[in-house]
Amino acid sequence: MLARNAESLYWIGRYVERADDTARILDVSVHQLLEDATVDADATSRQLLTVLGITPPPGMELDVWTLTELVAMSREHAGSIVSSISSARENTRVAREVVSTELWECINSMYNAVPERQRAAKRVGPSLFFSFVEERAAMFAGLADSTMSRDDGWRFLVLGRFVERVDMIVRLLMSRVGDKPSSPGWVTVLRSAGAHDTYLRTYRGALDATRVVQFLLLDRLFPRSVFHALSQAESCLDHLDNQPSTRVGAKAEASRLLGKARSELEFLRPEELLEDLTGRLLGLQQCIRDVGEAVALQYFHSVPWVAWTNAEVSL
Amino acid sequence: MTTTPEAVRQSRTGTMDPVSWRVRVVHTTGYRYEAPVVQSYNEARLTPRSDRRQNLVVARLETTPATRSYRYTDYWGTEVTSFDLHAPHTELKIVASSVVETTEHVQPIDDASWADLRGDGIADRYGELLEPTRYAPRNKELISIARKLRTGRRPMEAVLAVSEWVHDQLTYHQGTTGVHSSAIDAWQAREGVCQDYAHLTLAMLRSIGIPARYVSGYLHTKPDGAIGETVRGESHAWIEAWTGGWWGFDPTNDIEIGQRHVWVAIGRDYGDVSPLKGTYSGGAASAIEVSVDMTRLA
Amino acid sequence: MNRASGNGDLFDNYLDPKRPHAGAFDEMFAADSTVRSAYRRLYDSLSPSKPADLATRAEALDRALVDQGITFSLSGQERPFPLDLIPRVITAGEWAKLERGIVQRVRGLEAFLADIYGDQQIIRDGVLPRRLITSCAHFHRQAAGVSPPNGVRIHVSGVDLVRDEDGTFRVLEDNLRSPSGVSYVMENRRTMARVFPDLFAKHRVRAVGDYAVHLLRALRAAAAPNVADPTVVVLTPGVHNSAYFEHSLLARLMGVELVEGRDLFCRDNVIYLRTTEGERQVDVIYRRIDDEYLDPVQFRPDSVLGVAGVINAARAGNVVIANAVGNGVGDDKLVYTYLPEILKYYLDEAPLLPNVDTYRCWLREERQYVFDHADELVIKPVEGSGGYGIVFGPDASAKELAAIRRRVRANPRGWIAQPLVQLSTVPTKVGQRLKPRHVDLRPFAVNDGKSVFVLPGGLTRVAVPEGSLVVNSSQGGGSKDTWVLAARSSTVDPELSGQRLGTPQEESAPERGPELTSAQQQQQQQQ
Repeated sequence: MLARNAESLYWIGRYVERADDTARILDVSVHQLLEDATVDADATSRQLLTVLGITPPPGMELDVWTLTELVAMSREHAGSIVSSISSARENTRVAREVVSTELWECINSMYNAVPERQRAAKRVGPSLFFSFVEERAAMFAGLADSTMSRDDGWRFLVLGRFVERVDMIVRLLMSRVGDKPSSPGWVTVLRSAGAHDTYLRTYRGALDATRVVQFLLLDRLFPRSVFHALSQAESCLDHLDNQPSTRVGAKAEASRLLGKARSELEFLRPEELLEDLTGRLLGLQQCIRDVGEAVALQYFHSVPWVAWTNAEVSL
Repeated sequence: MTTTPEAVRQSRTGTMDPVSWRVRVVHTTGYRYEAPVVQSYNEARLTPRSDRRQNLVVARLETTPATRSYRYTDYWGTEVTSFDLHAPHTELKIVASSVVETTEHVQPIDDASWADLRGDGIADRYGELLEPTRYAPRNKELISIARKLRTGRRPMEAVLAVSEWVHDQLTYHQGTTGVHSSAIDAWQAREGVCQDYAHLTLAMLRSIGIPARYVSGYLHTKPDGAIGETVRGESHAWIEAWTGGWWGFDPTNDIEIGQRHVWVAIGRDYGDVSPLKGTYSGGAASAIEVSVDMTRLA
Repeated sequence: MNRASGNGDLFDNYLDPKRPHAGAFDEMFAADSTVRSAYRRLYDSLSPSKPADLATRAEALDRALVDQGITFSLSGQERPFPLDLIPRVITAGEWAKLERGIVQRVRGLEAFLADIYGDQQIIRDGVLPRRLITSCAHFHRQAAGVSPPNGVRIHVSGVDLVRDEDGTFRVLEDNLRSPSGVSYVMENRRTMARVFPDLFAKHRVRAVGDYAVHLLRALRAAAAPNVADPTVVVLTPGVHNSAYFEHSLLARLMGVELVEGRDLFCRDNVIYLRTTEGERQVDVIYRRIDDEYLDPVQFRPDSVLGVAGVINAARAGNVVIANAVGNGVGDDKLVYTYLPEILKYYLDEAPLLPNVDTYRCWLREERQYVFDHADELVIKPVEGSGGYGIVFGPDASAKELAAIRRRVRANPRGWIAQPLVQLSTVPTKVGQRLKPRHVDLRPFAVNDGKSVFVLPGGLTRVAVPEGSLVVNSSQGGGSKDTWVLAARSSTVDPELSGQRLGTPQEESAPERGPELTSAQQQQQQQQ
C-alpha cells in the first residue's frame, strides 16, 4: 500500500485511541475531584497534566473547569481530545480512499459535532462530552472491525491503536506511582481503563496496588492491559513484514523492540513488579517512542515535498 | 567564453580556407554541488546536427557518475540527451565529443523583399520567430534604431547592417553577463558575451519583421587552424535570418559562418537550446570548469 | 392547472415580466406560462408543496452534504457544495442530440491534437494559420513528439453548454485539460435520492453512478499494450486543492491509489510509487495537476506538486499521462472559433452542436466590429477561467469600454467577443419561493480509444444572484442535479438492461436463541 496512506492509517489509529483514553482518564479524574472535596484540585490537576504530557500553565490555580478546558476542549494543545479528533479527521481526509465511507462519516460527523457538544458540556457538565467521545471511539472501532478488509491497511490502523494504548496505560499508571498501595486512587485507575468490573471478577474484590498494576500490565486476557496491547501490536508487525525470515534475531527493529518489551513482562515474577515501577514504566514509554520511529523508518518512506533547484550551465 | 573578436577579425578578408574541414570537438562541462545530491534530472543539448552545410560523423556523450541516458529530438529538432542520477554525488561531469565535417562560408540569401516578408504567408509561417522573447524582448529605442538601419536597404543587407551595428555597440567582455541577462541589459551595459550579441541582433531583426533564430554551437578559434593541432575552442552562439532562405551570420565576430562554426541547436533564444540544464534537490550548485577542445582532423 | 402563476405558493409570480433578462428561455415554463413537457411530472409533484416542505428538505440536504464531507475549498475554507433542491430535466430526445454532438467534438479534437503534436498537417494544408497554434499559451513544445500508446489524449472532457433564447444548446467552451465537477454530478444524485425519493419514483432518470467504471476502463485501455495489469493512480495537488474531494472520490470509486507528487518518483524514465513494500511501477497517471506544475524539469522549476522527469517517461512510452500534456491548445478560446474548420478537415462533418457566435479580435475586420459594438458584446480573455477578466459590454461604463479597447489593441490574440447570450433559466429555490435562475450545463465524456462515452447527466451550474449570468462556484454559484430522462423503451440505455443473476428461492425464517416462556417470566415476577 501507499506509504503515505499507511502512515495516515497508523495515525488515525493512534489519535482515535488517544482521544478515547484521554476522555476516560479525564472522566474519572473529574468525577473524583467533584465527589471528593478533600482532594487538592490544583495539585491533582497538575499531576494529571504532567502525565498527559501537557505543560501546565504557570501562575494559575487549576480546577475542574480549567482542567477540562485544557485537556479536552483546547485546540492549542496538541494532546487535547479536540486536537486528537481533528488530527484523526485530517488524516482520514488525506487517506479517504483507503478507509470505508462509514468510517469516514463516523469520524467526520464526530468532528462536525464537536462544537455543539462543547456547548452542551458547558451547560450540563463535561461528563456528557466524555461519553460522546468514548461512544464515537467505540463506534469507530466497531465500524473499522466490520467494514475494513484485514489487509495491511487494517494492520497499520490496529498497530497505531495498540501502540497508543500501551502509551496511555503507562501514562495512567504513572499518574499513581506516588500513591500508597492502599490508596483509593487505584480504583480510579481501574475505572479509567474500563477495567473495574473485570478486575473485580478476576480478583474477587480484593483491591491493592500490586494486583491493580499486575492486572493492567500483565493480564493476558484483558484487552486494555499493556501485555495484551504489546502482543497485538507485535502480531500486526509480524503480518506486515513480508521479507524472507532471518535466521538470527528479529527481522525488523520495531518487532524486536516490541518482542523484547513483551517478553520482559511475560516472564516477570509478579512480586518483582512493584520494585522500580517508575523505571519500568519509563522504559516502556521509551520503547513505544522507539517503536514509532522504527516503524516510520521501515514503512513510511513518504518524503516531504522536494524543493527542486534549477541548475544551468552557461556556455 | 568566446574568443576575442580581434583574433578572428582577419578571416573576413583573410586567406581562402580549404573547402571543407573535419573537426573533433570535446566539450567538458558539469556541476559541483555543495552537499551530496541524491536526485537529479538533466537534459543536455550538446550533440551537433547534420544539414546542408554540416555533416555529423560521430557523436557520443558520457557522464560521470555513469548514467543510462535517453535520447530524443525536441520540437526544434535538437538532439536531447536526458539522464537522471539517484546515487549520492557531489559532482556531475559531462563529456560530449563529436566529429563533424563543415563546409565553406554561407552566402547571404537575397531572395526576399520587404513586401515578401510583410506578406501573410511569411508572417504566419515564422510567427514564433518574429515574437519578442524573454532574452530578446521588445524595446522602443532598439526598434527605432533598427528602423533607421533598415532604411534604403534590402532585408539581406539589413541583417548585415544590424549585425555590424551590434558588433560595434558591444564590447566583448567575458563573464560580464550571466545566462540570465537579456539583450537589453547587455546593450545598456554596452558589453556582453556571444549570447548577448546574438540576442540583441535577434531582438532588432525581429522588430523590423525579419524572421530570425538563435543558433548555439562551437567555434574553432584559429582561422588558419593546422591539421592535428588541438586548440582551446569555445562554445559559441550566432544567429540565422530568413530573407528568402535561412542563412547564418556571426555578430560577435562580425563574420560569416564558415568551416570553423559547428552548430548544435537552433531556437527562439537561449532558453530553447541551453546546453545543459537540470533539476535537482539539494544545496547550491556551481558550474565546474568548462572546456572545449577542438582539433582539426582534415 | 399547469400555469406558472397564482396557483401554488411556490411558483408565485415566477414569470415576472419585469425580471432581468426576461427574454431568456425558461426550461420549465413556455412564454405563455404553460409547463413544458419535460417538466410536467416534476411540476405536478412540486406544485402542491408548501414553502415549509421545501425548507425541511433543504435542511436535510445540507446536513447530508456536510456529514458526507461533500465540500469544496474556497480560499482555504471547506464549504458544503451548494446544491439546489429542484432538479434540471433533459428529455431523451434532447440528450440524444447533445450526446452525438459531444462525441463528434471529442473525435475531432482528438484528431486535431494528434496532428498538432505530430506532423501539423492541418497547418501545412493551410486550413489553420500556424500562428494560431504557435501563439497559444497552452501549446507546449515540450509535448511535441509524445505519442500516447492508444492515441487518446482527451481521456476526460467537459463541454460547457448553454441554451440560448430559442432553447438551442450551444457550446460555450471545451475543457480538455482536467475538467472538474463530475464528483458533484454523482454526489448530487445520491443526495437528491435521499431527500426526494418520491420524485425519483415518478421519473425514469438515467443513472450517473457508473462514471468511475468508464473512467477506469479508459485509463486502463490507455496503458502501453504490453502491460498486462496496468497500475493506475490519480495524482492530486493535495488536500488543500479546491477539487480534492473529487480526486479522492474518483480514486476511491476506481479502487486505485490517490497520490501526491511526492509519492511518485522517476528513475531512468520509469515512474514508481513509494509503497510500504518498496517501489511499484506506475503505468497510467490520471493527473489533476496543471501542465505547468507537472514536471519541474520541463515546466515551472519551482513546482513541488509534480514529478520530476515524468514528461520524458511519457515520451519514452513508460507511463501514460491522462489527460495528455498540452491539451490546452485544443480548448483555447480562439482555436474554438475554428472548430467548424477542424471538424470539416478531420471528419468531413459539419458541427452538430453550434458554437456561440464569436468575434476574433486578432482579425482586423472582426476587431473593428468589436470596437464599434463593444457596448453590446461580452468581451472575454482567451486565457483564464472562472469568469475573471470578462467585460459585459451592456453593463460597462464608457471608461471601462475605453480601457478594454486599449487592452484588446495591445494584445488582440488574447481576446474574443461574443454577443450576450441570455442563458436559459430553471426554477431555483431562493428564500421560500422558486425563482428563475440562469444555468449552464457541463456534460462529461470519457474516451477509451474505441468509443466515447458521455455520462447521461452533467453538472448544471446556477447563477444564484438575481439577473447574474456568471455561473461559477468560485463566484457564489450553485448546482443542480441534472436528470436525463430515459427513452420510453428502456433497453435503449445500457445501464437499464442486463440479465438478473438469479431469483430468490423459498423463504426461510432466521434462527432464534432459547427464550423464557411466558409462564417462566410470570413465575419470576411473582417471586
